[in-house]
This record gives sequence, structure tokens and C-alpha cells, in this order.
Amino acid sequence: MAGLSLKYIRKSYGDVRAVENVSLDFTDGGLTALLGPSGCGKTTLLRMIAGLEDPSAGSISLGGRDITRLPAHKRKFGMVFQSFALFPHLNVSDNVSYALTIAGTPRGQAAARARELLDLVQLSAFAERRIGELSGGQRQRVAIARALAQEPDVFLLDEPMSALDAKLREDMQVELRQLQQRLGITTIVVTHDQHEAMTMADSIVVMSQGRVEQMGTPQAIYHHPENAFVADFIGKANFFDGVTEGGNVRIGQHLLQVTPPANFIDGSPVRMAVRPEKAMLAGADDGNRLPAKVTFVRDVGPVQDIHLDTPIGRMIVSDSESGQPLRVGDALQVTLPADAIHVFPRLSDQAAA
Amino acid sequence: MGRTFGHIFMALSGLVLALPIIVVAGASLNGGRTMLFPPEDPNFARFVEFFVTETIWVQALQNSIIVAFGASTLAVLLAWPLAYILWARGSKASKVLAGLGSLPFALPPIVFGVGLGFLWAFTGNLGALWVGIVSHAALFLALPLVTISIGLQSIDRAHLDAAATMGATEAVTFRTVILPQTLPYSISGFFFALVLSFNEFIVMFFVSASAYATVTLQIFNSLRNGYTPTMAVAAVAFIVVSLAVFSAVARWGDLPRLMGADQSRN
Amino acid sequence: MTAVDSPKANLSAETPPTRRPWGTWALALVIGFLCVTPFILVIVISFGQKIDGAGWAWDFTFANYQRFFIGALWPEEVTLLHLQRLYYALYYAVIASVLAVLTAFPFTYLLTRQSRRAQSIWLVFILASLSLSEVFIVMGWDVLLSNRSGLPMLFEVSGATDWLKETGWFEVLREWGLANPRNVKFKTSEFATVLTMSYLVWPYAVILLYPALSRLDPSLTEAARTMGAGPARVMSSVILPTVKLPLIGAVLLLFVFLLGSYVTVVVFAEPAKQTTAVAVYESVRGSTLDAPFGAAQAVILLVTAAAFLALAQYLTKRSEIR
Repeated sequence: MAGLSLKYIRKSYGDVRAVENVSLDFTDGGLTALLGPSGCGKTTLLRMIAGLEDPSAGSISLGGRDITRLPAHKRKFGMVFQSFALFPHLNVSDNVSYALTIAGTPRGQAAARARELLDLVQLSAFAERRIGELSGGQRQRVAIARALAQEPDVFLLDEPMSALDAKLREDMQVELRQLQQRLGITTIVVTHDQHEAMTMADSIVVMSQGRVEQMGTPQAIYHHPENAFVADFIGKANFFDGVTEGGNVRIGQHLLQVTPPANFIDGSPVRMAVRPEKAMLAGADDGNRLPAKVTFVRDVGPVQDIHLDTPIGRMIVSDSESGQPLRVGDALQVTLPADAIHVFPRLSDQAAA
Repeated sequence: MGRTFGHIFMALSGLVLALPIIVVAGASLNGGRTMLFPPEDPNFARFVEFFVTETIWVQALQNSIIVAFGASTLAVLLAWPLAYILWARGSKASKVLAGLGSLPFALPPIVFGVGLGFLWAFTGNLGALWVGIVSHAALFLALPLVTISIGLQSIDRAHLDAAATMGATEAVTFRTVILPQTLPYSISGFFFALVLSFNEFIVMFFVSASAYATVTLQIFNSLRNGYTPTMAVAAVAFIVVSLAVFSAVARWGDLPRLMGADQSRN
Repeated sequence: MTAVDSPKANLSAETPPTRRPWGTWALALVIGFLCVTPFILVIVISFGQKIDGAGWAWDFTFANYQRFFIGALWPEEVTLLHLQRLYYALYYAVIASVLAVLTAFPFTYLLTRQSRRAQSIWLVFILASLSLSEVFIVMGWDVLLSNRSGLPMLFEVSGATDWLKETGWFEVLREWGLANPRNVKFKTSEFATVLTMSYLVWPYAVILLYPALSRLDPSLTEAARTMGAGPARVMSSVILPTVKLPLIGAVLLLFVFLLGSYVTVVVFAEPAKQTTAVAVYESVRGSTLDAPFGAAQAVILLVTAAAFLALAQYLTKRSEIR
């Protein structure tokens, strides 16, 4: 089954709108990441999908059936909680077989299923342990196994990596992705970590202030951000404020070429973004060349981040090729390729970045 | 220097706290019928008297046990739904109800005792043993109410959500998650009520109407004739019970947390 | 990250709002009957009338209250006997509760700095002594303070009595009523009453102060010390201000608790210095048998207790807000 779809979902708490008019269709068997800063409404959205909160308006359907009013215990979407929410009074095996036990599955059968799942997450040896005896990574595996035990239509994870330390996090991201692909289960992961989203997801939903800013594959979202928020939140970007002039952008005395030309009426206030690795320090005649002065050099091994002062403002350039030794105070030329410039409308309340 | 002083102060406080208990324990060993300390002709004759031969005390002890167990069981059974409603709904009405349930414990017991005396006189049940049980349950309702509330508050809300996403209805969640996790707190509340009921006599005095007596009430009733070493035996027995019960609570429950310590620190 | 994480929202999401309200109503009924009607009856009967030889009858008269405040024979004669009993009840309770909190405070502070295990052991001991019946505690102090054994005997045997006589302190003690011509005596005296009362509530004081003191952030005192504050200064400038309200709240609660103490007063206080609680007992079940007047005295005790409880509650609330 699957075919999970949200239509005009809204959630308000009193005057506070936590989620606004969200409509999404989730890919069957794919992993979708709900990505955004804290307080953007992504967890609320996930909880509404799980049935833990009622939407104020809108509808949720699964395989064409309206499930908006179906309580959580009837949806039985497996969910992994931020704190893992493992029951301390049950051992690992009993935690995993919880859903089956309360559904009345015979003990032997439930235990066999628990063994199978613990095998899947490589924890067979820990079946009889108490939850308090497990490490963070082990707890997460138990939580995943427990949520999968009931063979849910949809698998939900709320910030599953936040309780783990950095090193473990990257390993678990890969492992979780492999497991999900093997099972082919429709999965939704809430995260505020763009690396996590890009590592695991087939598609990413970028959210901010309760709204969906953009939905697409990780590559599309990175290379073709649809607005300034996405450009800023996904990866790094240098921002400059200007106005349009014949499809190009004017900032002070400088007119910067943009391809394809920006589709704005002349004189519209716009915000322009350039990714640090797209700007170049050497070569390339075609593009917008600007004089620049080095103010700081951050050398982290494979890449150098060079902080520059230019006539249009400060910017950071990531340089992984030239390897030329630069020092604070050096004067040079920086090139912003015309096709590397993203132009977004500028709202009046946005201050220059 | 400050540390040593602190230790001396604590030890001194402990000594003063233990002093009357030590004296009573000593007096219980008196061979004669007068309360002397140090005891005269020390032996365990009074213990035999209290536990075996003197019907008055044996009967009183039996009543004490029946009342204490009955009252604390009833108090826990009443406190559970109250604590649960308070926790799950948190409505103004449930707060008022919890407040009313705590009144008897908070106000002077002599007033509550007088009131209960009037109440049971009206219903015509004054002097029945079950009236003593119900009265003590009302008096000590506040104790399991507090401990169970603390237990409920310690449950991670995510556990309830997790149970729901795995197909548990509210009733199933209650049985499989809430009840087992709050069991130690229910038991603690039961024991607190048990021990205090064991030792209470003022309310019991008014509701028993001299039809029966518990151990402490029996002592209270014979107060005009002064204390006897047999009463000291009762005191020793009761202290031992209290120590055993609270040690059990400390062993299987988190006593510092029950008493309101910050749980994040050790 | 959920904006509002109310339990109501969670639970109502699981169950439709068709609850069975009769269960709650039944519970309310039971609690109302057991916990509230006794107090209401006391209040109602306090307006009743005594009938000689036949108990009492319903009425609506203020005679019992008049008798309490100015005496039954007013206006011919004014009796302040009952007011005086209330005064003694307040007097003993105030001194004993302040004394208990003042000594329990440093103890509890030191207790909270101990290891969790040591705290547990101390708490077991304190709870055991807290739950100890007033009759047993009075029994212990009765032995300790009686003339034939305990402290007076210790004074005599150790020579402390002779020393007191030589230094002249003995005369002072006699003036205070703490000595007879031969030796020191503590029964009956205000000293014994207050001492036993404050012993009675001391474990309660520890239990009441324990939450506030154990939540005291140790980094606060450490910060003060790094800024050059000595132990005394840390106590007066950091610890005391933060626990001032719980401290006063504890005094008020213990005070209310002690208002109703009975055995201590009967055994240790002089007959002329008995309290309202004793008078309630005398009226309702003792020699005088005047239930309405007993109820009226109980109401006065109740009102006094409720007022101080409300004050304590208010202070606790305020300390939680901060």
C-alpha cells in the first residue's frame, strides 16, 4: 500500500500557526526528509502524519483512503522518537515485540519476530538486556527494530540521530539508509541537519515557519534553490542585495551578468546568492570579475576558505584547486560565473546577510 | 574545619533524634512494671506480654494491622483515579478535587476526628472497625496521591506516543506503560499511609467510640495511669516496622526523588 | 520542538472525547463525603445548642462563639479562659516550629551535600522518626525528663546540680520553674512542652526543607566563593535569600501541625497552660460533654490553621515562580 498524501494541512495552537497549508505527496518506498530549523513545524507535521496530533484543517490520505481522523493506534505507523522512548521496564526483546504482544500475537511468534528484527539491526546478542545497559547507538537500533516490528505502512523518524555523538551519527545515517532501501518502506525523517538529509533522502522537503519552501531531490535543492531561505539553509552561500537591470543585477557601480537572465521588472529589489565553491580566484575570463582583498584564510586541509573584501560586499570563496598560498592583505581578482548566480526576489524585511 | 564541624552537627542532631527512641528501647526491657531508665532487672518479659499473653495488646495489635493495611489499600485505590485524572486532564476541577482530598491531612487531625465522629454518628456506624479503616483512608489519602502524582509526572510523554504508534489504546497504554512505570511510587504511597495509619490515634479515638482500640489508641486511653514498659515494647515494635518499611522504599524506590530532590544530580 | 506539548492534546488524539463522566462524579462524591462533610458538620454543629443530659440539638446560635471569646456569662462577667487556651496553643506552636526550622535548616543543608546513598540512609531514619506516634515520642521524653530517671537524675549524679547551686544558676532555674528545692525538674514546664513539640516536627522540617535545599545549584555558591565570599557570607548573601520563602513556608506548616498536638500538652504543660486542642477533646468526649462548644472551638482551630496554610501555600507558589 502506501500512497501517503497531505492536502492543505494546517495546525494552529491558539494564535500560533505551527503548520500552514502543507500539501505533499510522498514517494512510495522512498525516503523523504523534512528539513528545517527548529520551530519550523516539521515535527508537528510528522506527529500529525503519525496521528499523534489532529490537524486544524486539511486532510491526510493513505492509498486513497482518508485517515485524517484515524487515531494513532489505528494507523500504526512505526515511529522512532528523538529520545527513542524505549520502555525502561521491559527488556530489549519485549520492547521490540511490544506492538505484537498488545495485538494478541502468541508469545512464541512475537519473540521469533523480535529475534528476526534484532538480527536485522545486528543486536541479536542483546535480546535479554535491560534498556539502561545499552549505548546510544544500540538504543537507536532497538527503537528502529521496535517501530518496524508491526510492519507499518509508513515509517516515521523524529530527529533519530540527535541523541548520538557526531562520529556514530554518520555511520548510522548510512546504515539506516541501507536498511530502508532493503525493506523498500515509505519513510519520513525529520531533521535539522542538512548533511543528514542529503545523505539519506530520495527527496527533501525544506520547511520554514510552518511552510514548505521547496521540495525536490537533494541535488535539485542544492543546485537550484528556489528562494533565498533554501539557498542559505542548504549549503553555504554568499548573499548580495541589488536591483535588476535588463535581466542582470546591479549592485552599486557593478552590473553583474546572470544566465539565464533573471525574470524581473527593471529596478526590482533582489537578493543574489553565490555558493563559495562556485566563485573562482583564478582564470575564467567569462564572468563577473571583481577586485578583492584577502581578510582571512581558513585552511582546513582539503579546502581553503578565503574571506574577501570586494566592492559589492564581503564574501567567502572555497578553493580546493589552485592551492596558491594566500596571505591576509593580498590583492586579487575574484570571478563570479554568470551561471552560478541565483537571483531571488528580496522582501522588504530581509536585512543584508 | 568547616566540614568537620558540619559532620559533628549532623551526628549531634542524629543523636538527639535517637535519644528518646534509645530510652524507650531501654525501658522496654524493664523487668518490673515501672518505666525506669536504665532498666531494672532487664529481660524480655514485656515483649512476651505485648505479643502473646496480654489479650488487650494482642487484640489492639491485630486491630492496628487490619486498620493500617485496609486504610492504606483503600487510600491507594482512591488516590489512583484522582492522580490519573489530575495528570491526564489537568483540569481546574480535578485540581480542586485533589485539594479537597488533601484537606484532612493538612488540617489539624483533632478537627477532622471530631467531624468524622459526628458524621459516623449520623450514619449510625460509629464504633465499627470498617469505619476506622475508611476514616484513616480519608486522612491519609494525600500521601499516595502525592507519590503517585510524582510517579506519573516522571513518565516520558514520548513513551505514551510510542505506545500509541504501536497500536495501544489509552487503556492498553495505561496497563502496559503507565502502571508498571508507576508501580514503585504506588507502593511507596501505600507504605507511607500504612506507617502513619499504624501510628495515628486521635482520629481513631473519635471514630472508634471506645468499641475497639488500636495499639496507639490503647496507649492514649491509658495515658492517665502513666506509661508502662509494655507500651515501650509497642513503641519498639512500631519503630522497627517504620525502619523496615522505609528501608524497603529506599531500596526499591528512589527515596531522595520521592522527597523532592533534584533528579538530575547525584 | 512541538510548540505546545500538552498531555491533553496527546491523549485526546488517541481517544475520542466521549469519556464516561460518571466515574469522575462518583470519585468526587466519595471524596466530598469523606474529606469535606466532616469539616462542614463541625462548622454546622458549632452553631448548635447543648441540651443537658441529652447531648445537643440543631440551632443557629452564636452562643458558643460568644462563650469562647468573652465567656458564657457576659455581660455580667468576662471570661478569657478559652482565648487564653488559644493563646497558649499559638505560643507553643510558634516557638516550637521556629526552633525546629532553625535547627533543621543547617542539618538539611548538610544532608543535601551528602552522597545520594548517605542521603537515603538519613532519610530512612528521619522518616521513621517522623511517622513515630506522638504517644511514643512523649513516652520517650517523659522518661528523659521525669524526676526519677533521665536528665534530672543525670544532673544529680554527675554533680551538675551541685555546680548549678554553687554558681547561683539554680536560683535562676527555680525562678523559671525548672527546678524544685532539691534538683532541676522539667515536668511540668513550658520548656518540656516546647522541646517535645519541636522534636515532634523536626523530621517534618527536614522533609519540608529538603526539596528546596537539594535543588540549590552548587555552582551558585561556588560562583560566590570565586568572587571572594567566605562561608558565612555565602550563607547570608546566596543561600538564605534563595530559600527564604520555603523556610517561612515550612515554619507555617509546622505551626499548623502543632496547633492540634494533644498528648504533649496533656503530659508536659501545666494544667493552667493547656491548649484549645485539649479543650476540644474535653468538650466532645471528655468530662464536660458539650459537643457544640467543642465544635466551635474546633472551628476556631480550623480557621486559624486554614489561614496559616493559605499563607504557606501562597509563599510556596511565589517561591516556585522565582
